[in-house]
Amino acid sequence: MGSRMPAAQGRLAQGGTRDDGIGRRMIVVMVLSCLAFLARRVEQLLLLTGINAVAIFWLHRGPLSLRREMRTFAWQTAIILGLHLFRFRTMAGLWLGFKVSWQLFLALLPGMVFARTASQSGIVRVLTRVMPGRAAFVLSTCMRFIPRLLGEIKNIYEGQVLRGARILPRDLVRPWHWADLLHCVVVPAVVQGMALAGHIALAARARGFERFPRRTCWPGE
Amino acid sequence: MARRIFKPRWQLPHLSLKDALFIGFCALFAVLVRVFFRIKLRISGRSMLPTVFFLMLARGSVSYPFAAIFAGLLAGSAAMFVGFAKQGPMVLLQYFLVAAVIDGLALLLPGRFRHPVWSGLTGALAGFSKFFSDYARNFLIGMDATVNLQLSLIEGAGAALFGLLAGLLLPVVLRRLRAYGVIV
Repeated sequence: MGSRMPAAQGRLAQGGTRDDGIGRRMIVVMVLSCLAFLARRVEQLLLLTGINAVAIFWLHRGPLSLRREMRTFAWQTAIILGLHLFRFRTMAGLWLGFKVSWQLFLALLPGMVFARTASQSGIVRVLTRVMPGRAAFVLSTCMRFIPRLLGEIKNIYEGQVLRGARILPRDLVRPWHWADLLHCVVVPAVVQGMALAGHIALAARARGFERFPRRTCWPGE
Repeated sequence: MARRIFKPRWQLPHLSLKDALFIGFCALFAVLVRVFFRIKLRISGRSMLPTVFFLMLARGSVSYPFAAIFAGLLAGSAAMFVGFAKQGPMVLLQYFLVAAVIDGLALLLPGRFRHPVWSGLTGALAGFSKFFSDYARNFLIGMDATVNLQLSLIEGAGAALFGLLAGLLLPVVLRRLRAYGVIV
């Protein structure tokens, strides 16, 4: 029965790594981002682009479409080239601008790919190693409960629409309807958020949270 | 021999778990709504509207003096690691700068964002802090100083405008929350 255990679970059972290599991947991403800030020459940028391509393949464990990232790069390059053209008015200035944009893209790309490819729960587990325990608890708990809070906000929104509030997307095109959004959705959502925070805090205290100076256990998946 | 007890002159105020969780929700909303703002609009600094609004909401609703900084660090960590941010580790600095301005001005200005003028001013200054984080990033890359200044000023001015808008919206929300007795 246990022979078809998933790979990560199997590693856990064997006492292997708990974060499925996310900590290692996070370090690689940060190192690559930092290297982009240091690379100034074209050869260095080319080399780093090659390393990034390999790293992306490794992060995703296969080829990955970079259409979204390339759109960001194109937009950013257009702005930077425009400003460089305005400043230098020469081809050399444009080339300088393109190099800066390229460098900036290489600094941002690993983080963007990492965010797309790593699992949220794994990242939170790694976060608990670098953040204070309380902050990590707050962050991971809020992440866990945010879908529920979003669901409640959706209920509030639908209820207010049924009551006639002018908060449909076509109404919100007109800025004078934004007040309705504030009064009918944002304020009740904040109240709901506070109530939910109170309930979670009560439940955590009932389970002995903060009774001991060091954390004694961590909720599972 | 009498045992001497040393008491520190100044202690960090205690943050209750409920308030910490509420600040956490504000931080995550700052990140989530920022994602929405990144979708279609191509206006410089527009992501500062949710960032400033939710960080100021955290500080305005909770009496903890470093609420915005706590929310900023949580939001920065969430944005950096969990997704959405294109700036990598620099996003943590950006959130921290915005939050530090909000907490600093909440201590200096009267009313804790109840008055629209002070709240708007805080929002605008918090938004303008994007100028410094952008300038630092471009400086590290080695961008020409003049271009860097122009680019960062454009970003900073747009962010200040959206920060101002967020600051003007906040007193309306805080007034309603106070009227319901949710905050004191």
